[in-house]
Amino acid sequence: MYSWLWRVLPGKRLGKVLQLVLLSALVLAGLYFFVFPWMDSLLYSEPTQGL
Amino acid sequence: MTNTELPDGTKIHWAPVPPRPKTSKLLVFGELLVSFGILVGLFAVYEVFIQDEVVAAAQTNLAKEYGQTAEKQKFVNPDKAKNLGDIFGRMYVPRFGSEWTRLVAEGTRWHPVLNEIGIGHYDNSALPGEVGNFAVAAHRGGFGGAFKNIHRLVEGDRVYLETNGYWYVYKYLQTKIVEPEDISVIDPVPAELDGSHVGGKYLTMTSCTPIFVNTQRIIVWLELEKKISTSKGAPAELGIGN
Repeated sequence: MYSWLWRVLPGKRLGKVLQLVLLSALVLAGLYFFVFPWMDSLLYSEPTQGL
Repeated sequence: MTNTELPDGTKIHWAPVPPRPKTSKLLVFGELLVSFGILVGLFAVYEVFIQDEVVAAAQTNLAKEYGQTAEKQKFVNPDKAKNLGDIFGRMYVPRFGSEWTRLVAEGTRWHPVLNEIGIGHYDNSALPGEVGNFAVAAHRGGFGGAFKNIHRLVEGDRVYLETNGYWYVYKYLQTKIVEPEDISVIDPVPAELDGSHVGGKYLTMTSCTPIFVNTQRIIVWLELEKKISTSKGAPAELGIGN
């Protein structure tokens, strides 16, 4: 999976590294702004009884 | 080309280049597991640090700016706060830090009170300054953790509540850990509070404990010490002017 990603990215080593950094940043932004808040809303349930 | 003959007659047999090994299913499975582990780690970081801090900053800013920016942002009188989310006060707890402040709203539902505003008033409990038990709840960890440091309250600490007309100053009495079902802690005269008596004017702060485990509740009782008109300004010991 990761080796496949490394192979299909165009350019030489430095270019690939930069593209991977950019890709990782995009994935992180997606996780932190959309996926995690959504997961957060599923994770907790409001107590209906007691304190 | 698998064979080469050099000018001196030497024959070289080239081994065929092996095909690129196909990615095994096991390798992909391993990579997926590693990715899942990283994802869980990132989510934990998000939960403990990012979400909590972002919401805490938003709740603090809301509390600091409430009533300062727009005419419509005025505290509802506590006795008129009947609807879920009606904001009727602002709390200050010096023990939680000089910058700590949160709004207090009617009701204890997570949305829109505890998650967005910060502190919620148990709707069947007394109003601020009244005889009985003015009981409030807030998150301990996550969603701004308004009462994150509730366990640090000790003898001599004060909690200040600013409302439309009055400042209420409550002094610390006692802390107790109870089960979630033990709702008697917010009774008008809490039996588990040492020395509680009919006619007492109590403030009960409730939150979850242990932090991020939330299987029990931490209760802090306080008693009204004084009530000051807001026309006299904020209590001097808060050092916030007004």
